[in-house]
Amino acid sequence: MLKKASIIVAMSLFTLSAQAVDVPISGTVQSRCVITTDTPGTYGNPNAYTLTTAAADGGVQPIVRYDVTLADAYYAQITTPTSFSTSPSLNDTVSWTGSTEVSSVSDATGMAGYESAKTVSGQTTQFDLTATGSTWFKSTSVATNGGNKAFPGGNYSATIEAVCVAK
Amino acid sequence: MLKKLLLGVLVGFYPYYCYSDNIAPYYGTTGNAAQSGHSWSMKDVLPAPPGLDINGVFYRYTANKNPEDDMKVHVQNKNANGTGYVFRDTEDWSGAPGGIEVRKVIGIGDIPREAWGDGSIEVEGTGTVDDASVIYSYKVDPCYDPQFSPSCPGYKTPVPVVPTVNLDDLYDATKDEFVNLNDEEKLSIEENEERLAEEEEKEKEEAEEKKRKYRLEKLMSASDTAALFAENQRIEQMNNIMQNQINNTYLAATIPGGQYKETIRLVDAKLPDSKAGLRNGLAQQILHEKMISQQYK
Repeated sequence: MLKKASIIVAMSLFTLSAQAVDVPISGTVQSRCVITTDTPGTYGNPNAYTLTTAAADGGVQPIVRYDVTLADAYYAQITTPTSFSTSPSLNDTVSWTGSTEVSSVSDATGMAGYESAKTVSGQTTQFDLTATGSTWFKSTSVATNGGNKAFPGGNYSATIEAVCVAK
Repeated sequence: MLKKLLLGVLVGFYPYYCYSDNIAPYYGTTGNAAQSGHSWSMKDVLPAPPGLDINGVFYRYTANKNPEDDMKVHVQNKNANGTGYVFRDTEDWSGAPGGIEVRKVIGIGDIPREAWGDGSIEVEGTGTVDDASVIYSYKVDPCYDPQFSPSCPGYKTPVPVVPTVNLDDLYDATKDEFVNLNDEEKLSIEENEERLAEEEEKEKEEAEEKKRKYRLEKLMSASDTAALFAENQRIEQMNNIMQNQINNTYLAATIPGGQYKETIRLVDAKLPDSKAGLRNGLAQQILHEKMISQQYK
C-alpha cells in the first residue's frame, strides 16, 4: 500500500513539472589514411647557385609513406617547396622546381598504376589511392638562385607538404 | 570457498607458466634468401634447430620494364612433396612504368619447415627484377623434440644403450694378413699357441685325475669300513664260541676237596750232553774264530 502511494505521488509531480534534457552524442573517426615521413631529405649543392635533393648531385630525396586502409577513398597530394622555411638573407629571387613519383608500393598489382595515373599541377602532384596498403612517394626539389648568383652561406631548410584528401 | 577457487586458478595456470618460463618458443628472421640469385634452397636459408615453423615472408624488389610491356613476378616456394607451391605471391606489373619497388609483408600460419621446398623469384613476361630481397620470419619450438630438456612435456629419462659385441669380430692382430711378421715371430706365435693348448689340456687332465682319485678314495674308504666292521663281527663271534667252549668244558667240572700230593719222583742220574748240541756249538765256534781271524788278513 505504501509503495503504491509513493508511485502515485511521483507520477503526479512529474506531470506537474515538464523538463528538457540534452543527451550528448560523441564518436571518433579513425583515420584511414596515415602519412609518415620515411626519409627526411637533404639538399645537395652541386654548384654555388643550386640546391637540389637529387642523389646524383649529393642530395637525399625525401620519402613519404601513405598507409591507406580504405580503398578508393583518398587522394594523395604532395607539394614540393616554393620557398625556404629557414635560410640566410637571400641576395636574389629563387626559382623552384620539383616533382614527385611513386617509389615503392606494397601491392604492385593494385598500385603500380599510380605513377602513370598521377596528375601534376604546378608543384603539386596528386595520386589516386585506389587500393589499400602502403605507398612510398619520393620527391625532388631544386632551388636555383636568380642570376646564377651564389647562395649566401648558412643553413637552408624547406618543407614538403603531404596531404591526404578524401574523395 | 574463496580459497578453493584461488587454488583452482593457481593449479590451472601452473603448467602454462612452468612451460613458458623454461622452454618458451622463440622467433627470428632469416637473412636475404635472394642475395645470391633468384633461386635458393631452404636448407641453406633456415637455421638448424628442428621444430621450426615459418610464419611470414617479407620481400622487396624493383621491377624494371617498359610501361607497354606485360610482366608478372612470382615470389614462391615449391611444396616439398613435389606438388605445387607451399607459398606463391604474384604481382602484375603490366601497364606500370619501371623503376618502382614493391615491399610486401605476407603473414603465414605457421607452416613447418618440412613443407618448404626450394624458393625462387620467377618473371613471367618482359622485364627484370633487381635488388631483390626475400626474408622469412619463423618460430622455433625447442620442445619439438621432448628430449631437448627435462622441462619439455613428454620428456623421458634416457636409458643408456649397452652395445652387444661379438668377440669373434674383435680385431686380432695375429690373424691380420696385413700385419707383417717374420718367420721367427710367426713361429713364436705358433709355439705359444701350442704351449697354451697343451697347458690347457694338461690342466684338464689334472683336474680329471684329481676327481678320479677323490672318487676312488671315497669308494675305498667305504669298503674298508665295511671290511673292518665284518672282521670285528667275526672276531667277536669266535670269541663267543671259544668262551662257550671253555664254559662248557671247564666251568661245569666239579673239583673234589682234599689234598693232592706229588706222585712223580725223579731219580738222580747222569745226563749226557746232547751230541746235536755239541755239533752245533762247535760249528758256531768255528764260525766265530773265522770272523775273528778275517780282521787280521
